[in-house]
Amino acid sequence: MVAKSLFLMSLTALAVFPAHAEIARVKSSSGSAIVQRGTNHIPAKSGQELLAGDYLVTGKDGRIALTFIDNTRFAVGPNSRIAVSTFEYDRTRQTGSFVTQVDRGSLAIVSGKIAKSGRDAMKVRTPNSLLGVRGTRFIVEVPK
Amino acid sequence: MRLRDLVPLVAFALAGCAHSSMVLLPDEDGGHGQVAILESDGKPTEAVVTDANSRATLGGSPSIKPLGASGLKADEAALVGDLPPPPKSFTLYFLEGTTEMTPESAPVLEELRAEIAKRPGAEVQVTGHTDTVGNDADNDALSQKRAEEILNLLASKGFDRSIMSAVGRGERELKVPTGDNVSSPVNRRVEVIVR
Repeated sequence: MVAKSLFLMSLTALAVFPAHAEIARVKSSSGSAIVQRGTNHIPAKSGQELLAGDYLVTGKDGRIALTFIDNTRFAVGPNSRIAVSTFEYDRTRQTGSFVTQVDRGSLAIVSGKIAKSGRDAMKVRTPNSLLGVRGTRFIVEVPK
Repeated sequence: MRLRDLVPLVAFALAGCAHSSMVLLPDEDGGHGQVAILESDGKPTEAVVTDANSRATLGGSPSIKPLGASGLKADEAALVGDLPPPPKSFTLYFLEGTTEMTPESAPVLEELRAEIAKRPGAEVQVTGHTDTVGNDADNDALSQKRAEEILNLLASKGFDRSIMSAVGRGERELKVPTGDNVSSPVNRRVEVIVR
């Protein structure tokens, strides 16, 4: 019985947000710009899809601009290492949670539907702080 | 230790102190939101950055100050300038129960094609919306099915299937607010969002 309801719950979760689903696409990039997925280093060319858990990594001349499926937009500056640690989004209800970790570098964000879906549903973590995003446009900078 | 040996040490200490920071900007439509500093150095804080064009240091006790006349630094302005354009939305109407577009919607299809062409790395969400006739679960299923039908229609008209996805929003986002169980052709629509 428990096993069955767990099975049904996992089916529901899959229907809502399949694992390995596209969460964003790269719109433009320049210089040294990669999407790091596990041990794979994928060039961050325009059209490249992003999955939850991916890292965005740029070198000293690198930039990446991307838009998420909840309308959130990112611009990643040079010398950056940024992870989209959590991205869960119910596209029918437009609710979810979104955690980005800025290890170093700079990131401009225009928040989207997830940030609107609940208080601090979108968070940004830096090495020494945790931010709750309440519907807005802002920049985070983490010097090396 | 001689004074000149201290200089690199001081420089190192200063670099070590280089704070993480954030800048809250006005939204593109002129309003602005807020950013709460929920934790600093592992401790909860009550600090909230509430004013647009303010800079806050992160770590320790956050200090929040207006940007002032100097505004953004050059690298910050470049970063903001690099943000992708906002997504754009197009609405299509169909003759009831068919995949035949209303005459007014036909030109919208060409605008849609042009918009996708000018956005490198475009991604397209075909969103079905219903009116309030029927229950929520049925309308979710109906709008999803509708979105899939129209996605197929767009693919048959040469739109790239690999950049499109279908989403049903049911009756959650009415174009014109109505009570429950109100038939409304304006609310029965397909919205195509180009990102």
